[in-house]
Amino acid sequence: MVPESSRRMAKAKISQGFTLRNIPNPGWARNAIRQTGRFRYAGVLKAIWFPLVILALLPGCAKERQLHEAKKNTVMVEVTSQVWDYRLPWNPGTVSSGRGAGFIVAGKKILTNAHVVSGARNITVQREADPRRYAARVQYVAHDCDLAMLEVEDPAFFKGTSHLDLGGIPQLESVVSVYGFPIGGDRLSVTRGVVSRIDYNAYTHSGRESHLAIQIDAAINPGNSGGPVMQEDKVVGVAFQGFRGDVAQNVGYMIPTPVIRRFLKDVEDGKYDHYVDIAIRWMPLENPAMRKYLGRPNDGRGVVVTDVFSEGSSDGRLRPGDVLLAIDGYPIESDGSVRLEGKPVQLEEIVERKFAGNEVQLEVWRDGKVESVIVPLKPADMFSMYEILYEPPPRYVLYGGLVFQPLTANLMAVLAGGADLRLRQKYTMFATDQLYRETPEPVILSSVLPDASNVYLRGLAGQIVREINGKRIRTLMDVEPALEANGERTVIRFEGDARPAVLKREEVDRATPRIMAQYGIGEVSRTDVGDRRLAQGSFSREGSK
Amino acid sequence: MQGSVVRVRAAIQAYDQFRPWQKKAPYGLNGTGVVLPGEKILVTAALVANRTEVGLEKPGSAEKGGAEVEAIDYEANLALLRPEKPEFLRGFKGLSLGPALRAGDTAEVWQVERNGELLRNQAEILTVGVGRYPHDEAGFLQYGVRVSLPKRDDSYTLPLIRQNQLVGMVMMYDRDSQEGTAIPVPMIERFLKDAADGKYEGFPTLGVSWTPLRDPNLREEVNAPKGGGILITRVNPRGTAGRAGLREGDVLLSVDGMKLDEDGNYRDPLYGPTAIGNLVRVRPTVGSQARFLISRGGKEMEITGSYDRRARDEVAIPTLTFDTPPRYLVVGGLVFQQLSGTYLQEWGDKWTERAPQRLVELFSFQLEKRPDPADEVVFLSQVLPASLNLGYQQYSGLVLEKVNGKKIHNLAELSEVLSGIQEGSLVFEFMDDPGKLVLDAAEVNARQEEIRRAYGLPELRRL
Repeated sequence: MVPESSRRMAKAKISQGFTLRNIPNPGWARNAIRQTGRFRYAGVLKAIWFPLVILALLPGCAKERQLHEAKKNTVMVEVTSQVWDYRLPWNPGTVSSGRGAGFIVAGKKILTNAHVVSGARNITVQREADPRRYAARVQYVAHDCDLAMLEVEDPAFFKGTSHLDLGGIPQLESVVSVYGFPIGGDRLSVTRGVVSRIDYNAYTHSGRESHLAIQIDAAINPGNSGGPVMQEDKVVGVAFQGFRGDVAQNVGYMIPTPVIRRFLKDVEDGKYDHYVDIAIRWMPLENPAMRKYLGRPNDGRGVVVTDVFSEGSSDGRLRPGDVLLAIDGYPIESDGSVRLEGKPVQLEEIVERKFAGNEVQLEVWRDGKVESVIVPLKPADMFSMYEILYEPPPRYVLYGGLVFQPLTANLMAVLAGGADLRLRQKYTMFATDQLYRETPEPVILSSVLPDASNVYLRGLAGQIVREINGKRIRTLMDVEPALEANGERTVIRFEGDARPAVLKREEVDRATPRIMAQYGIGEVSRTDVGDRRLAQGSFSREGSK
Repeated sequence: MQGSVVRVRAAIQAYDQFRPWQKKAPYGLNGTGVVLPGEKILVTAALVANRTEVGLEKPGSAEKGGAEVEAIDYEANLALLRPEKPEFLRGFKGLSLGPALRAGDTAEVWQVERNGELLRNQAEILTVGVGRYPHDEAGFLQYGVRVSLPKRDDSYTLPLIRQNQLVGMVMMYDRDSQEGTAIPVPMIERFLKDAADGKYEGFPTLGVSWTPLRDPNLREEVNAPKGGGILITRVNPRGTAGRAGLREGDVLLSVDGMKLDEDGNYRDPLYGPTAIGNLVRVRPTVGSQARFLISRGGKEMEITGSYDRRARDEVAIPTLTFDTPPRYLVVGGLVFQQLSGTYLQEWGDKWTERAPQRLVELFSFQLEKRPDPADEVVFLSQVLPASLNLGYQQYSGLVLEKVNGKKIHNLAELSEVLSGIQEGSLVFEFMDDPGKLVLDAAEVNARQEEIRRAYGLPELRRL
C-alpha cells in the first residue's frame, strides 16, 4: 500500500481547517507542514499502512450466533491483478496475486475493499463451507472510499448463505470481532478488539481522501482486508488498513457503516459517482479580534471561509470572509464541528453523506447580516490529480522517442527523486494555487527513449511542456494536434529556463517505427480521457476530438 | 618556513534563523593563514564567516594577537586579515604569489605542527576548471588536487605552495578519496587587486541563463551561424548582459573578443578550453567594459556594456547574509522575518522539500516571481502563543502582503505602518491560506512587553 505519514498529520490537516477531504498530501507538502520553525519534530514518524482484513467475535449470548452468521457469509477473495507501469505506459503491466476477504450483503452481492480487487484480471471467491472456488467479477468499485461490490454468476455459490446486515457506529471501548483470512493460515480467522477511536482519517488507497474511520486495537494483518468487523450480529465496519508492526502495534482501521451505506446508496442507480466536496477552505473562528473584525459576537459559533476553489461546488456561492453559522440546520461550532446523532463531527460529515446533485444549505454571515446560501454539490475534480489511479491504462503520446504523459500521482511516484523543483511545485501547488484553471492537466516530457534521432534531447526529460509549435498545451489531448501542426520542424517549449526541443519531421517519421520496434511499443499514443475526471479550466472537452 | 604562515583561530557564532533574536552555540575554527607582503594575512572566507573574534598565533611560540577582517568575499571564498597591532608580524617576510598551475603540476600543502614545525605534503594538480565554490551559485576557476593530509588542528584553511611561493588555498578536502579543491592564484591575485584600494567591489556577473548549442536542429531553429556560440535562455534586465541589450533567444558568440564554443568554453591562453564563467567573472572587474558578439535572428551584431554585480546584489531575496543578524519584528506574538537564502538553508540539505513551499518558490524563481528588488519578502515565520493570538498558532511560512490594506515591501515599512495604528483592528493579509489574520491593535500594544518577557526576547524587533 501507500506509505502514509503519522496520524498526527491527518489531525493537523483537519485542525487547520481544510474542509476538503481531498487535500493533497504529497510527501514534501507534509514535511512542509510538519516542520515549522517552531517545532521540529525529532525524527519523522513514518508509518506504513497496509491492507488488512479482520474478523471478530462477540461476547455474550449473541456470540455464537454471530460466529455462525459470519462463518456462513464471510468469503475468501483471491485476485490476480495487473498494475500499470507509468515508466513504460504502453506495457500491460506486472501481474501479481493476492488474497483478501469479503462478505455477503443483501441482494446476493459481496462487499470487499477496492484495494483487494484493484486492477483485477481474475477473481475467485470461496466460502468456508464449500471447497469450490467460484468466478466473481467487480460490479462497482469506489477507490475514493476503498469499497467494491462483487457479483458471482453461479447461484450455487450462495447455497447455504444468508447475508450480513449493517449496524451503526459502535461505542468507544465496545468489543468488536474481525473476520478474515490473514497471513498465518488458510482458514477463517477471528480476532477481537475494542473500538479505540472514531475520527477522520486518511484512506490511503486513493492517496487523497480522508473519511470517517474507526480505529480498533484488534490485530489486523495483510489478508484481513475487506472482511467484516462485527458487533453482535451486525456488521459495524470493513477492515481496511493498519500500521506495520515496526511503527505501531494494535492499531487497525475499519470503514464505518455511514461510509458503507453511502456507497451502497450511490450505486443504486447503476453506477458509482465520486464523493462530492464543498471545495472551500475554512479556519476556526477562535480569535476574539478576528470575531470582532467579522462582526460576530463571542458566542463560540461559526467558522470563516478562507478560500473558495474555482470551479468547485461553492464557486460563485461562497466567498472568503463568509462566516458559516450552520449547515443543513446543524449549528457549526467555532472549531468547525457539528453535533450529529449526539456526537461531535467535522462539518464536512454533512457533505460526506450526500451525493452529486444534492445540496447543502448554509447559514452564512455576510456583510453584517445572515443569509441562506444553497450549494449544489459536485466532486472536486481539481484534486483528482492527487488520486492514485488503478484501473485506467496510462495515457501517453510518443513522438520521436519523446514520451509525453499527463501529470498524475502515479507519474510523480515513478519520477520520485528525478522530478526537479519546478515540477514538484507544479504538482504540490496545483490545487491550492488553482493552476488547473490555466492547465487542467499539465503535460510532462516524462522520458526520452534513446535513439540516434534524439541524442541532444535526453537531458530534457522531466520538463513541463508549455507549447508545441506555438500552441499552448493544456492537456494531453492538445499534444497530437499541435504536433501535426508543424512544418519542417517541430519546436517544443518548456516552462522555465530549459532550451526548446527541436525535431525534424522527416527524422521523426523515419525514427518512429524503429523506436516502436526497439522498445516494443504497439501504439504511438493513448489519449482517451475515458472515465478520468479533469478539472475543467479553459479546457473544452468537446473541442478536443 | 618561518615568517610565512600563522595560525588563525576564529570564534564563530551564527545567528539562529528560526529564533532570530538569538545566536546559536559558538564554536571555534582553526586555519593556517598565509602572510603576504605588507603585513596582511590571507585565509578562506569560510574560516571567518559569522565570526565573533579572530585571533592570530605565531607558530612555535605562544605569542597571540587579534586580527581584523580587511576584505572578505564569500563567493570567491577569500578573506584578507590585518593584525590589530602592526608589530605582530614584524620579522615576517611573507610569501609572494607564484605562477598559475596546470594539470599535472605538483605543489606542496603546508600544515603547522604543534611545535611550530612545518609539515609539507606533496600535492598533485589533477584538474583545472570552473567548478562550484561553497557559497557561490555559478562557479569559479579551481584546482582539483590530490594530496595525503594528516589530521591537524589548524587545517580549516591550508596554503598550496610551490617553490616558496603561494599558488593556491585549499578550501575543501575529502579524507577518504584524498582529493580536494583549491582556489587558484589567478583568483587570489584578482581578489587582492580589488582589495588593494580599500574599497572591495567583488566579482562581476553577467545575469543570464544559457544552454549549450550543440544540437544542429536547435542551431537551425535559432538561426545560429556555423560553429560556436551558446543560446541565452533568460536575461536579468538589471545585469551586465541585460543592460547591454542581450535578450532571451540571442546566440552569444564571443565575449570581450574571446570566441565561445558550443558548450560555452573559450580558449584560455593559460588553461585551454575554459568555461565562460571564468571569462566574465574573473578576467573583468566591476566597471570595465563588456563586449558581446551576438547573433539575433541570423544577424550578427556587437553590443557593449559595463560589468557589474547588480544581477547578484540587487535582489528582493538575498542569497548570503553572513555576518548580518536576521531582521525580525514581533507583533502580538506573530514573528515576521525577512526572507533570505540563509533562512531557507536553515531547513537543512533538503530545504527545497522541507521549507514552506511558497518561500522556496519565491527564492528559487525569483526573477520570475519577484523581479523588483525593492519588493522584499516579509513573512510570518512562527507564532509565539499568547491569548491574543489564539487560533493562529499553527500558522507559519506565510508571505505578508498588506496590513490594513497597505502594501508592505519590507520590515521597516511594516514597523512604521504598525506604529501608526494604535487602536482598532490590525488586519494582516497573506499570499496564502488563511488569507487574513486579525489582531486588536490596542491589545497588541498592551501585551507586547508581556510577550517579550514571557519568551525572554531581548528585543521585539531588529530592523
